[in-house]
Amino acid sequence: MIPPEKLKASQIGLLAVPAVAYLVIFYVLPLTWLLAHSFAGRSGFTFDSYARFFADPFNWRVIGNTLRIASLVTLVCLVVGYPVAVALAQAHGIAQVVLLASIILPLSIGVIVKAFAWQIVLRRDGVVSQALMALGIWDEPQRLLFTETGLVLGAANVFLPFMILPIYSVVKLIDARLSEAAATLGATPAYRFLRITLPLTLPGIVTGVTFVFSLAVSMFVIPSLLIGDRFQTLATLTGRAFLMMRDEQLGSTTAVVLLAFAVTVVIASTWLVRRLGSTE
Amino acid sequence: MAPVLPFLDIVAASKRFGVATVLDGVGIGVARGEFVSLLGPSGCGKTTLLRIIAGLLTPDDGTVRLDGEDITRKPPHRRDIGVVFQNYALFPHLTVSENIAFGLQSRRVDRDEIRKAVAGLLDLVHLTEFADRSVRLLSGGQQQRVAVARALAVKPKLLLFDEPFSALDRKLREVMQIELKRLLREVAATAIFVTHDQDEALTMSDRVAVMNRGAIDQFAEPAAVYHRPATSFALGFVGLSTRLAGTVRDAPSNGEVLVETSIGSVRGAGGFVTGTPVIVGIRPERIRIGTGSGNSAKATLTDVVFQGSKTFLHFAASSGDQFLVETSDPPRIGLEPGSVLDLTWSVEDTLLYPTESTR
Amino acid sequence: MTFAERASSITVWVVATAAVVFLLTPLVVTVIASFGSSSVFTLPPAGWSTRWFERLPTTQGLLASVTASIQIAAYSTLISLVLGTLCAIALVRGQFRGREAIATLLVSPLMVPGLVIGVAMLQAFREYGLRDVWASLLFAHVVITLPYVVRTVLAALSLFDFTLIDAARTLGCSYPGALRKVLVPALSPAFLTSGMFAFLASMDNYPISIFFTDAWTKTLPIQMLQYVEERPDPTIAAISTGLILLALIALVISDRLVGLRRLADF
Repeated sequence: MIPPEKLKASQIGLLAVPAVAYLVIFYVLPLTWLLAHSFAGRSGFTFDSYARFFADPFNWRVIGNTLRIASLVTLVCLVVGYPVAVALAQAHGIAQVVLLASIILPLSIGVIVKAFAWQIVLRRDGVVSQALMALGIWDEPQRLLFTETGLVLGAANVFLPFMILPIYSVVKLIDARLSEAAATLGATPAYRFLRITLPLTLPGIVTGVTFVFSLAVSMFVIPSLLIGDRFQTLATLTGRAFLMMRDEQLGSTTAVVLLAFAVTVVIASTWLVRRLGSTE
Repeated sequence: MAPVLPFLDIVAASKRFGVATVLDGVGIGVARGEFVSLLGPSGCGKTTLLRIIAGLLTPDDGTVRLDGEDITRKPPHRRDIGVVFQNYALFPHLTVSENIAFGLQSRRVDRDEIRKAVAGLLDLVHLTEFADRSVRLLSGGQQQRVAVARALAVKPKLLLFDEPFSALDRKLREVMQIELKRLLREVAATAIFVTHDQDEALTMSDRVAVMNRGAIDQFAEPAAVYHRPATSFALGFVGLSTRLAGTVRDAPSNGEVLVETSIGSVRGAGGFVTGTPVIVGIRPERIRIGTGSGNSAKATLTDVVFQGSKTFLHFAASSGDQFLVETSDPPRIGLEPGSVLDLTWSVEDTLLYPTESTR
Repeated sequence: MTFAERASSITVWVVATAAVVFLLTPLVVTVIASFGSSSVFTLPPAGWSTRWFERLPTTQGLLASVTASIQIAAYSTLISLVLGTLCAIALVRGQFRGREAIATLLVSPLMVPGLVIGVAMLQAFREYGLRDVWASLLFAHVVITLPYVVRTVLAALSLFDFTLIDAARTLGCSYPGALRKVLVPALSPAFLTSGMFAFLASMDNYPISIFFTDAWTKTLPIQMLQYVEERPDPTIAAISTGLILLALIALVISDRLVGLRRLADF
């Protein structure tokens, strides 16, 4: 092995070549071709497949479904996840272990296991139904399976850790003295939260929202199991196009549209995080 | 006429963390406009006491009164007490001006008034050009000044400083000490200053509270703490000293006792009973080379340390005890290490303390 | 504490407790369902039985898909660890333009919808003439495991003090020796956590694997979804319980080795 002083800094860069080359061959090129093929028509470059796609009102409903569900899931995860992240940062001992384990353990379990479990839970005679009847909220058992509510619940359950962990990693970095300083200056707890804690946790919130929204936009297994074929998202439509309808042209088009949404979200959030970091 | 209560009055404050008693029934009274230092080593409870005054900790026992009002259970945001933290705790996402304005903004003060107040404070701490800079880009000394300006902005009744200069280098620290005193005098503030640096405490304070293991050993003016330390801990912690172990041999009624030490008999003031083990202490500048009418000892010079305006002479007696002599005018001849010299000091400069068993 | 502080503190803890229940619900439900005696899911179950577990070894296709999944996951994780670590070293120690772009490229598969990657790969591998399903799966899974390795190892390397290697060499180590004795131990938590997450990501992957499957080669998620469609009985719950148990064991081992909190360093 050559010791570092004998190597030029630029030569160390060569170590990146295998990984980059691999990704180019098996990831970048395929995506580029996907993009290219979607613009391919019989006589060269064309927007035809997209024109057809966007002309069909059904597809607009699909896009609306996708965005609506993704937004709801993200909202639920944010509202629930933020307090949990704060609790995690303040917890010690057994409480911290329990919290951490219940966040990380589900991450280690496949999405199919979880979606399948939610199938059981959301049924007419399932746990949720029985619980809500016991609480008096429902008069008769209802099923949440094959409803948007059930889908949002199930998806939020799967993606919640992806909201909690980024926020947690930012919250635990905040100096405890800052809140104390604000208090000695006369700030009430609410004012401290709005002007100190919230702004400082914003990068974590943005990261969490980005993760969850991207995951929710692209999710395929969860809607397949929890809401069925009558409700289509961009992802399930793409899957169906390839696996059932054998319509690769449609599948490629929807895949690219899906990709466009995902990339937009990531770029927007990266820009946002950068702006948050430099304003101060 | 009823006695006037101190502006800040702490009575019998105690705090325990688990089995450890960090503050043991501490009481202190600070007058309006006074600058008081809490001086002690780490773990003595000074920061805990400060946090109790600020409201960031609740004492297990005792009361805190400020300007006549019992604030013991009041949360920090309703106490009207400003704090300058050790690491400054500046809000990283705000600029210098926004940091200073924070307290006024939280009280919904009119925006023009805030702007004027902030401008005045920036001028006071000489940071006007940095008004819109992010606090993350400032040096330690500059951040320090922002922290002070921020605390002053809401015109608190009391200012607390938690070792604010400990992160600065010595020259900067001395500059900041002078600046801070000037600032505080200008706004006529009452201040409590926590530090482990005894030079700092003696330089800046009207009175110094020497703290040791959860209690205040002495609360007096700097000169009194230096020349008449109340405990052997205060003697050892503040300034340098020569210390000898001895036993009281004779206690005539004139207030003086005769102490038997390894270097001979020593006379000192104190009401001790015969047989009491004591510690004899002498400040280095109080010992002269030569003979005199007070106490005396013979010792061998081991080291001469020149420090500019003063010189330290280290001696060792035949018993092994060390003597430290400080002089601003060392003799020209006879100062070779190894020479045996006479040392003398007066009886009234001989400090006696009971030998402490560990508390 | 003021009333407002106490109220918000209680609210936070109530939400946290509710969240714990919420997060663990699917796991608890699955385990309970797997011990139910009837082939229809009722909660609480009418009776208890372990027959779904007893049937596992003879369930058609299960062993094959588990084997396939573990093999693919293991190999792709290994390859990713090698490629990813080399790349991370280049990014941290090298000096060339476009370092940030390369880092973004390497992490990007996490952000791109899996389905899109799967679709693109399906068509591209066809162009490449790659027909072997097993190999296609392997190549595909390296792409999705690589980001985990690069991100974690990169973060660990950025925090590593390279003067420690110099110190080791002045104390008599050779360069490879110094790397082995100083760098590898410092990086092993990163290897462990990223390897674990990469392995799990591969085992769990559906949207890409669905495009690379045939009668002989199926990964476990594909096989499980087939069971759900063909015969939804507690067998699936039994398989899931097995997976939960494995995940639990992996979690405990990781906690002993690197600590649970380090796993949370997302």
